[in-house]
Amino acid sequence: MKKLLEFKDVSYFYQTKENEIKALDEVSFDVKEKEFTSLVGPSGCGKTTILSLTAGLLFPSSGEILIDGKPVEKNDSRIGYMFQRDHLFEWRTIWQNITLGLEVRKQKKDPQKLAFAEELLKKYDLYNFKNKKPRQLSGGMRQRVALIRTLVLQPSLLLLDEPFSALDFQTRLKVCDDVYDIIKSEQKTALLVTHDISEALSMSNKIVILSKRPAKVKENVNISFTGATPLSKREDKDFGKYFEMIWRNLV
Amino acid sequence: MKKKQINYSKARKKYLRNIKKDKCLVLLGQIIIFALFIGLWQLLADTGAIDPFFFSSPSRIVNTIIDLAEDGNLWIHIWTSLYETIIGFIIATVLGTFIAILLWWSEKLRRILEPYLIILNSLPKIALGPMIIFWVGSGTGATIVMCVLICVILTTISMLNAFISCDNDKILLMKSMHANKLQILFKLILPNSIPAFFSVLKINVGMSWVGTIIGEYLSSKAGLGYLINYGSQILKLDIVMASITLLCILATGMYLLVSPLEKRFKK
Repeated sequence: MKKLLEFKDVSYFYQTKENEIKALDEVSFDVKEKEFTSLVGPSGCGKTTILSLTAGLLFPSSGEILIDGKPVEKNDSRIGYMFQRDHLFEWRTIWQNITLGLEVRKQKKDPQKLAFAEELLKKYDLYNFKNKKPRQLSGGMRQRVALIRTLVLQPSLLLLDEPFSALDFQTRLKVCDDVYDIIKSEQKTALLVTHDISEALSMSNKIVILSKRPAKVKENVNISFTGATPLSKREDKDFGKYFEMIWRNLV
Repeated sequence: MKKKQINYSKARKKYLRNIKKDKCLVLLGQIIIFALFIGLWQLLADTGAIDPFFFSSPSRIVNTIIDLAEDGNLWIHIWTSLYETIIGFIIATVLGTFIAILLWWSEKLRRILEPYLIILNSLPKIALGPMIIFWVGSGTGATIVMCVLICVILTTISMLNAFISCDNDKILLMKSMHANKLQILFKLILPNSIPAFFSVLKINVGMSWVGTIIGEYLSSKAGLGYLINYGSQILKLDIVMASITLLCILATGMYLLVSPLEKRFKK
């Protein structure tokens, strides 16, 4: 399959008053189209830096980042970003929240885009909550709204920055399934950052293991399970084997 | 209201009854304190335990207010103070918020002006009183300037803090959607700061009255502050107490007008 995202020997230095901190050390990996790739690594290793670089919020000190063969631009519009918390705007209704991106890009009158937004709401059981305020929704529903808000802009690559870490464990498993389902049925390519190995295992086709700071790629692990949903994958007999292998690579 | 159609359980009924009882008790307590305060004051004044010349009494206050109202001057004083306070309040709130927006917009400007903001905030604005009279002349203008000076710095600082404390990820989210700075301001920063804006409004109600009364003390020909000053100079303390009573009513009234706005926006 085609490579959608390529990191080629990317290094990044953070500047502080005291000194220069090397966050990434010649990181290379790629994300194939319609695949789900996860980055795991010890906390503070520079996972979020990688996402910021991919989204064009930061630029590499050296090396190259390509999306679809073209270098990343500032605030690249081919990217959809999902954060740890849903960051829904409390003063807007669900509909106003998911069309925020269209509003910002002055596409709020484009009937095709509006129809797409409406279709997404219907498809993922949120249409009845269209005119509700975010605080009237449960944590899991809010995270789904946040995902739809991103999908409305039709990005080619989704970046997920620990999108479930703010949820309690049960909701987390449920939302994990939901989000995975949405991403698969919309045929999106996703790059997930997490420190939770089981979460990465249950969602990904490939896991990129990073070392502690400055981050280097330690290993690329291809995952294949028989189960279809993240939850069922957790019950696969190979799950433990993968888990142990990744765990050993991390420490 | 569908209340009647629902059959509440015993425990629920008891719970609801207790809430109602608590509410009644609180209200009763408030009324008792008011009645005791007024009654005791009147009693002490009537029996001569306190000298009504210095301490006035509720009945004397009411009579003074009626006298002043019959004169027709009372309405001029009330209107003057009310007008100064409301104009000062509006100017200070708008100006302070606008300055806060400018300071949010440019971090450079913010850092350059920070020490001056601190100086102006620490300075007791009343010290500028004599200068204000020389600059804008005595009367309504000077009072409004004083009122604005007292409120504007506080408004600026509070609003700026609210603007800056906006979650950085929310700004990143806007940026990742290609929002420019103006869009971030209008679609995120300002609506996100509405709760802070309402608490500033409530503080400014109190502060603008402080400004008005101080301004009128310094120099004025009308207003409740003038009346207080005048009453104390001719040793008619009933006038002073009557003015203070009216001030209490007006300031509370203004607060009660502002605070429901907050509830409406929360919906």
